[in-house]
Amino acid sequence: MTVTPAETVAPPPRKRMNILFSLTLIGLLLFLWLALAFATDSFWTSLNISNLLRQGSMTAILALGQTFVIITAGIDLSVGAIVGFAGVIIAWLLQAGVPVWASIIITLLFGTAIGAFHGFGIVRMGLPPFIITLATLTSLRGIGLLITNGSSINITNEAFSNFARADFLGVPSLFWMVIIMAVPAFVFLHLSRWGRYLFAVGSNPEAARLSGVNVKGMIYLAYILSGTFAAFVGVLLASRIAIGNATQADGWELQAIASTVIGGTSLFGAVGTAYGPLIGAFILATINNGANLLNLNSFWQRVITGVLIILIVYFDQLRRRRS
Amino acid sequence: MAGLEEVSHRHDDSAALKEANRVPPGSPILELKALQKNYGSVQALKPATLTFLAGEIHAIVGENGAGKSTLIKLLTGVISRTSGEIAWCGKPVALATPNEAIERGINAVHQEVVLCQHLTVAANMFLGDEVNRFGLMRKKQMEKMAQTVLNDLGFGLPAAAPLNSLTIGQQQLVATARAAMRGTQFLIFDEPTAYLTRQESAQLFKLIRRLQAEGVTIVYISHRMEEVFELADRVSVLRDGTHVGTRLIGETSDEELIQMMINRSIEQIYHKEEIPIGETILDVRGLSGPGFEDISLTVKAGQIVGLYGLIGAGRSEFVLGLYGREKTTSGEIHWMGNKTEIKNERSAMALGIALAPESRRDQGLCLNQSIGLNINLPVFQRLSMGPVINRGKEAANANKQIRDLSIKTPTRHVAASSMSGGNQQKVVIGKWLSHGAKLFIFDEPTVGVDVGTKAEIYRLFATLLKEGAGIILISSYLPEVYELADRLHVFRSGQLVASHDFHAASHEEVLGEAIGA
Repeated sequence: MTVTPAETVAPPPRKRMNILFSLTLIGLLLFLWLALAFATDSFWTSLNISNLLRQGSMTAILALGQTFVIITAGIDLSVGAIVGFAGVIIAWLLQAGVPVWASIIITLLFGTAIGAFHGFGIVRMGLPPFIITLATLTSLRGIGLLITNGSSINITNEAFSNFARADFLGVPSLFWMVIIMAVPAFVFLHLSRWGRYLFAVGSNPEAARLSGVNVKGMIYLAYILSGTFAAFVGVLLASRIAIGNATQADGWELQAIASTVIGGTSLFGAVGTAYGPLIGAFILATINNGANLLNLNSFWQRVITGVLIILIVYFDQLRRRRS
Repeated sequence: MAGLEEVSHRHDDSAALKEANRVPPGSPILELKALQKNYGSVQALKPATLTFLAGEIHAIVGENGAGKSTLIKLLTGVISRTSGEIAWCGKPVALATPNEAIERGINAVHQEVVLCQHLTVAANMFLGDEVNRFGLMRKKQMEKMAQTVLNDLGFGLPAAAPLNSLTIGQQQLVATARAAMRGTQFLIFDEPTAYLTRQESAQLFKLIRRLQAEGVTIVYISHRMEEVFELADRVSVLRDGTHVGTRLIGETSDEELIQMMINRSIEQIYHKEEIPIGETILDVRGLSGPGFEDISLTVKAGQIVGLYGLIGAGRSEFVLGLYGREKTTSGEIHWMGNKTEIKNERSAMALGIALAPESRRDQGLCLNQSIGLNINLPVFQRLSMGPVINRGKEAANANKQIRDLSIKTPTRHVAASSMSGGNQQKVVIGKWLSHGAKLFIFDEPTVGVDVGTKAEIYRLFATLLKEGAGIILISSYLPEVYELADRLHVFRSGQLVASHDFHAASHEEVLGEAIGA
């Protein structure tokens, strides 16, 4: 079979295009902020900005975890359910008198275990990621409801529930959590060899395997990270609303996936960054926030979000085709 | 663009178009006039003038990269020409889309079957042309019609069976039947026998002759000389995108065609030096696994061990087993004199085995990733300080291989998919050179690689041997293993059936052993 020579049509380095794309995303975010600042009196107030950052933070962390999975050409539908489940677990532990630090660690370990189970289902049982994570999505909601008997567990530990409302250096603590998660995630994905392996696995698992990459291990790792990040968001949400309720964070997995995709991650794998999903999450949060301030029917928010996903991903496709 | 007018009307009068196809046998049906195709500054097909006569079997031969595929793609409307003219039945045509080519009666059967694996044979034969009544498909009737066609062509294939229950050879026959059913006047076969057994090939040849007898013009692309001499009336040779010449089959010979194809002597391509043979690196004893059985062979330092056989003979399966990719069921592996277990790819690499696998696309490269990532993939551990990659070392290592192997690319950030086959192969080789190994396994290293790059790769082999490495070379192209291997093993149906020292057996003997004649 002849392969046609085509090296002269080689695209310009992708890296620069990535930066350009994220710049246009940041541009979109800034544009939304400016427009809302002019259109409403209440947008550019410290109260609202704090609120906006709090709203976006949890989706951002969730999207960050999701990105690892999507780069391996997988998907994790369970993250919303893990958030709700982790909220129940930590509320239950705190009410049982377990110290806060131990409760947090145990809750995070639950997330890790769920992620490891996903890895097991995909690697050992050969199930498609969509199926195994869909299955845990429903099961976890069910288990959470069984534990709480369908009601909520109140969190009376003030130290714990004050955390999400607190500020540090004038910035909401929840947003600090984004930074604390994002910096190591960036190092992991872009500066460490594990990150390179994730991209290689997403691009061609067989080639990665024959090059000595532990492909199974990398798939486990991606889902473990996603599960743990989701459990962490569960802890934050529990702190914010001071209850544990298995039905919380309904549909957040779709928010997370949307943020990831808006942030330039390809659902076919092997394309994406650690910062794109963060910007994507805050774009979505801004749209929700702005729609509230503009007294837009909240039903419209959903429509706008959908249209925006189509537009952004379409322009991203155009950009790729041109290069 | 004189054909555009006809294109726009093709839906109205495709019947008339086919009527116009009645060209008396022996007169020109398709003429290429200074047809040319460039990709950027690369000339894939230099201005070619070539005439196909109605009812002939016209073979086209040439090395990989000679422009055969470009020519097919131009004729089937997959790509558009840079300049020149194509005349169909005496009239210039655009052939701008695959549909236009099919409507005019030009069709192609490819080496790899491009049909829907999960649909039935009948559904595939009618795909895009289903028989409907009141908007509903008439499945039973299509199956019946398909079965009639299949029976009529003389192969006992079930029309109702799913396509993936057939062998590749049988699928190839279905693809041919599909083309024949659509009133094809001009049928191009692109290396159709690459994956076929002898019996399957014979059946296909029967079908091709039958189509010819019905007045269909056949273009047969192959690099198997014996097939060309068995089938063709005339043969055209392409080399490096140039049409070198056309001969009547009775007035030419193997030697002349090969000379035309490569334009240089065999010694100039196959670079072989006197290299002292060292100690035994690998000693495999009775290794069995999926697709291979009871294989024993040794590889010594400074030695090229060639594995020859038809595709599917178990050579690739054997090296994948050796490399730890597939589980072996019995047998022993001795490495540098010690019995050892190779559990997985990583333990093979740790011993010092490197594998440049058969398929660049499926096994060798992360195509949408950069050249740099691909080259460094096996060695990131070495390029890292703790978990973090040393970016300077990463760049240096990739750039060194790009320079040493003269990989043609502006930077290491370019995606591997945008490079030619030869350059992609160099990336695959480059990643194992930077890793380093005691035993290099090259599985079909020169498929889709141009002659110049081939020669470079062979010279590289000599360099590796001189450094004390051993090489296992797998090739389905006999001259390659024949001219390079110090020891040649012949595989057939998963077994090692014969072994020869350098040039100890003739081409014919080796070929005979491979096909079991």
